[in-house]
Amino acid sequence: MTDATLATRSGESDAVTTFEQHRAELIRSRRAMNLLFIALFAAATVASIYVSRFYPDRLASGLPRIFEYFGTIMPNLELDKLFVGRGDDGRAVAGSIVYWYSDFWVYVRLIFETILMALTATILGAAAAFLLCFPASRNLAPNTIVYWISRRFMEICRGVPEILYALILVFAVGIGPLAGVVAIAIHTAGALGKLFSEVNENASMRPVEGIRGVGGTWFEEMRYGVVPQVMPNFASYTLLRFEINVRASSIVGFVGAGGIGQELNRVISLYSDDRVVAVLLLVVILVTMIDLFSERLRTHFIGKENFR
Amino acid sequence: MLTTELLTKSFATRNAVSDISLSFPQGQMVGVIGRSGAGKSTLLRMINRLAEPTSGRITFEGRDVTALKGRALYEWRATCAMVFQQFNLVGRLDVITNVLTGRLYHHGFASSMLQMFSAAERAFAIRALDRLGMAHTALQQADTLSGGQMQRVAIARALVQEPRVMLADEPIASLDPLNAKVVMDALRTINREDGITVICNLHTLDTARSYCDRIIGLKDGVLVFDDVPAKLTQETAREIYGAEADDAFAEGLTSTSLGGKPAKERLTEADIAQRSPLGFAAS
Repeated sequence: MTDATLATRSGESDAVTTFEQHRAELIRSRRAMNLLFIALFAAATVASIYVSRFYPDRLASGLPRIFEYFGTIMPNLELDKLFVGRGDDGRAVAGSIVYWYSDFWVYVRLIFETILMALTATILGAAAAFLLCFPASRNLAPNTIVYWISRRFMEICRGVPEILYALILVFAVGIGPLAGVVAIAIHTAGALGKLFSEVNENASMRPVEGIRGVGGTWFEEMRYGVVPQVMPNFASYTLLRFEINVRASSIVGFVGAGGIGQELNRVISLYSDDRVVAVLLLVVILVTMIDLFSERLRTHFIGKENFR
Repeated sequence: MLTTELLTKSFATRNAVSDISLSFPQGQMVGVIGRSGAGKSTLLRMINRLAEPTSGRITFEGRDVTALKGRALYEWRATCAMVFQQFNLVGRLDVITNVLTGRLYHHGFASSMLQMFSAAERAFAIRALDRLGMAHTALQQADTLSGGQMQRVAIARALVQEPRVMLADEPIASLDPLNAKVVMDALRTINREDGITVICNLHTLDTARSYCDRIIGLKDGVLVFDDVPAKLTQETAREIYGAEADDAFAEGLTSTSLGGKPAKERLTEADIAQRSPLGFAAS
């Protein structure tokens, strides 16, 4: 059928004109809303620039000072002495890599500790999140009271930054990795629990109804109806959280909660010399490596899901 | 004997089901017909207690089912199996585990959370699958199956519940004619061989006529017909289906035509003998 024959049939062209009218109205009303939002956004941006005094001249004058600081912490490496080892008296020669990284094995031990902290915190936090996420999902919660309590509990867990929990816990259980692990685990439980419950809310309810129909309890509905559906997404989010926790556990050391951060804090406050760069470099390498590794693993998980 | 007394389900503005009083002798095969939205699903879901009745009573063998709570309610649901239009299987679990979920009522917390089923239960599940010709798929993931196969797995899941009553909510509405016949034959066989009461929501008149001992007609939530299929006249059917009448009859003639003879005559001894006691190892 050609356009000409379509247009000649009066019944259909009536439907077309009504549709076009409605469409034009809809577009008009949307355009008004969009313009309003753009105006509000612009106003908010201007206000925030004024409040934070984000002026280009301040930035321009401050920028060189960043490089000044980097100048003071750069290592003094001399090309001819670069690979000179320790002398007979056990002293390293100034200007060599060995001299720069004289505390190398201390750093390695602390970095290893950092990874273990992140791993433990992720496992503990993910386990807590797993238990919390079912009552905290709108579609699965057995009643509104349980839903409300678990939601608020998770908000408290993730609302406070790790470093603050670490500060409190260092005071409570003393300096060392335990405080850091617990602090990161608490934050992880809240953050992952929220992500998990959002995954749950997108799960199909049909299998859940199927399990209810055979006489399953609420726990069995979750175990058989929901968990098999959401597990790949849970695994993917947990790995993502592990990446974040590696970064977090290298920071909590600043308040004495273990890991490489403790050393970083020490070298910054005591020496502020080439050792700062030595530690920073290792942290950057560690984080990059963990990111690459877990990204591989994650795409493996999700990839299996989407391309099956 | 399953009975409903003045069973009613009200929504804000209207009654989905009004004052339905019925009684089903053990072992009957019942077809519930009516147009979409007539309250067929609501009726079945209330009997299984997936939906709460607004008023009225359901009893089974003298026991009031309407008031059950907690473990007694789970027990009733296990006794009164449900087969859904959309199968409601767990797609990411394998077929055998899906069937084994039918045993969940008999499990404690720990063994069900750890998916620990006994060898006897596995054997029972495989036999149930084999009755429906699905034993060869036991280790496949459920979402790799076709619609007809999924519905047969769902019936196997219902079977391992060892139910007294089986409710089927539009079990063939999502299936092609061939699979529809396989599924209806299976329900009929279960009804005849195991003496399980089968109450089946059906959209097409023809299917109800050829498979059921008794037909119940609902219109706008009200009971308008309850008798043997032979008594269902053309006029009554037109009244039940209203505007959808031509649809329901036409479908009977074309797409989901399941043949004129009743199922019990079409199911020969050879069909039943074909089932080997343990087809799982062989296939």
